[in-house]
Amino acid sequence: MGRPKKITLKEAAALIQDGDMISFSGFTIWRRPMALVYEMIRQNKKNLHLFEVNGGTHTEVLAGAGAIRIWESCWVGHELYGKLGEAIARGQIEGSIIVEDYSHGHVVARLLAGSYGLPYMPCALSMGTDILNPEFDMLRKAGLRDGSNPKIPAMKYAIVEDPFFGMGELLLMPAANPDWALVYASQVGDEGTVRVFAQTYTDAEVIRAADKVIVIAEEIVPESYIRQEPEKNLVPGYAIDYIVELPWAAHPTGSQGYYDVDADFIRNLYAASKSQDGFNRWAEEWIFGVEGHEEYLEKIGVTRLEQLRANRVLGYSTRMKRGSR
Amino acid sequence: MADKKDYAKPGEYKPIDLLAVAAAREVRDGDVVFAGTGLPMLAIMLAQLTTAPTSVCIYEAGSIDGRPIDLPSSVGDARCVYQASLATGLTEAFFGQLHRGYVDLAFLGGAEIDKYGNVNTTVVGNYLTPSKRFTGSGGNPDINSLARRTVFVMVQEKRRFRENVDYITSPGWRLLKWPSGEWISKKDLYGKFFRGGPEAVITNMGVFRFDEEGVMYLDTVHPGFTPEQVRDNCSFDLNISRVRGETKPPTYEELELLYTKVDPAGIFLP
Repeated sequence: MGRPKKITLKEAAALIQDGDMISFSGFTIWRRPMALVYEMIRQNKKNLHLFEVNGGTHTEVLAGAGAIRIWESCWVGHELYGKLGEAIARGQIEGSIIVEDYSHGHVVARLLAGSYGLPYMPCALSMGTDILNPEFDMLRKAGLRDGSNPKIPAMKYAIVEDPFFGMGELLLMPAANPDWALVYASQVGDEGTVRVFAQTYTDAEVIRAADKVIVIAEEIVPESYIRQEPEKNLVPGYAIDYIVELPWAAHPTGSQGYYDVDADFIRNLYAASKSQDGFNRWAEEWIFGVEGHEEYLEKIGVTRLEQLRANRVLGYSTRMKRGSR
Repeated sequence: MADKKDYAKPGEYKPIDLLAVAAAREVRDGDVVFAGTGLPMLAIMLAQLTTAPTSVCIYEAGSIDGRPIDLPSSVGDARCVYQASLATGLTEAFFGQLHRGYVDLAFLGGAEIDKYGNVNTTVVGNYLTPSKRFTGSGGNPDINSLARRTVFVMVQEKRRFRENVDYITSPGWRLLKWPSGEWISKKDLYGKFFRGGPEAVITNMGVFRFDEEGVMYLDTVHPGFTPEQVRDNCSFDLNISRVRGETKPPTYEELELLYTKVDPAGIFLP
């Protein structure tokens, strides 16, 4: 355990190995560590096993770049700015990505079990649906439930009879313990205590469930400051292995209190992602065409970033046009 | 000058306005409502301003009973937590609130629906060789499992109202018992976890409800449509024998609230 090590973005991406099981902080288009995702693609990561409560813009960028082999989740899209996950869809239809569909509650249950050190978590969610159809257990069909990969459980789920109160049938969802939690956080103390603003999503669960944790922090702040209000903090510093301080690291996803979602940027990415060629051109411009995060920010430009900057009282931007009026 | 409580006339409102208003009317005062992005947000906010002032809204990303002053553009939006009683996460929303039994009503959507209210938001075609992938389940099936009442807001098309959907993402009144895959009623499958299920489906043509057997029937048709036209836009043989009449259009007050208080920026209402 001990205190987390401060490293660079390039060093952080280099820690992740091809084939690793990863999960992310955030929710759809909010608080995703996009700068790290871009760097992972520059470093040509392949064959990743992505387990996540829901997908979003980061998922689509990784899938478009051909970095994902297994995707266990329940949803992918860019919310209002791109209604589908085109790259995941292409991967599933072509067979290059093994998609294991769960429901939101199922994935949360799997993370909860992983984060509490339990082998499974019971729930009575989404019973009677095709999510539980044994014919649609894609990891079993691919021969990957044979125990050779310790990160893949022997069964997708189990049905049991409640032994205590006669509640009837319920599900046991196997724990998920990814190799890596790749986290974007609002503030991190210089000894590693993590704080996120507003909704906590499943950030604490992802951090606790993972074997190793990289936190990309919008700001590193004095530990003495973050300990003045410990009730606002998410996890202690000893749960974190590596920290990278990188402002705007979640762009184009939003970060409560710092900046809003860059809707136009995501719309453009979504439009490009409708074909592999389109995605490749987009990636050439925005991932491979820049040396790193600083050049990426310079390319977006100060004017655009200032429009996205959050109002300090409200926590979101009040200066961008959001709708048709 | 028309009274604010008068119903607007055809041509004075858009189809989406009627959808939002019809959905808002499903909210009972005091309901704990689980809402998704888009029309559901308009519905719950309009209901809070009109007939259901003590109803509260939960968004699955973790905001509990927020009082946004700017319409959120997604359920994870920073705007959702303004004046919320709790800013928390998915464990609280799905287990602390939904699984525990606090949720009265939920608004959900879908690409396809069958006559039992089973909804597909996952794929078109055989799941093993799909021709199209949608977003996937999200929280739709969990919420549909354990909320007391759910209301679906959907587009009315023959290819979307089907005898059998390609993939049951979200559980209706009759569904599949695993591992055998035989059909079973929701009540029998969910045992003591059973709390209810789909109560209404609202489309651009009408409002549908479910009979004692859990089969969908047409309850009201929107102004400008006939029950036969609605039946012609279903692939299954829709029961139109119980139609009560026309769906009440929006009132001038509801329209004013939608465009001046709920969505003045035109995020979901063009």
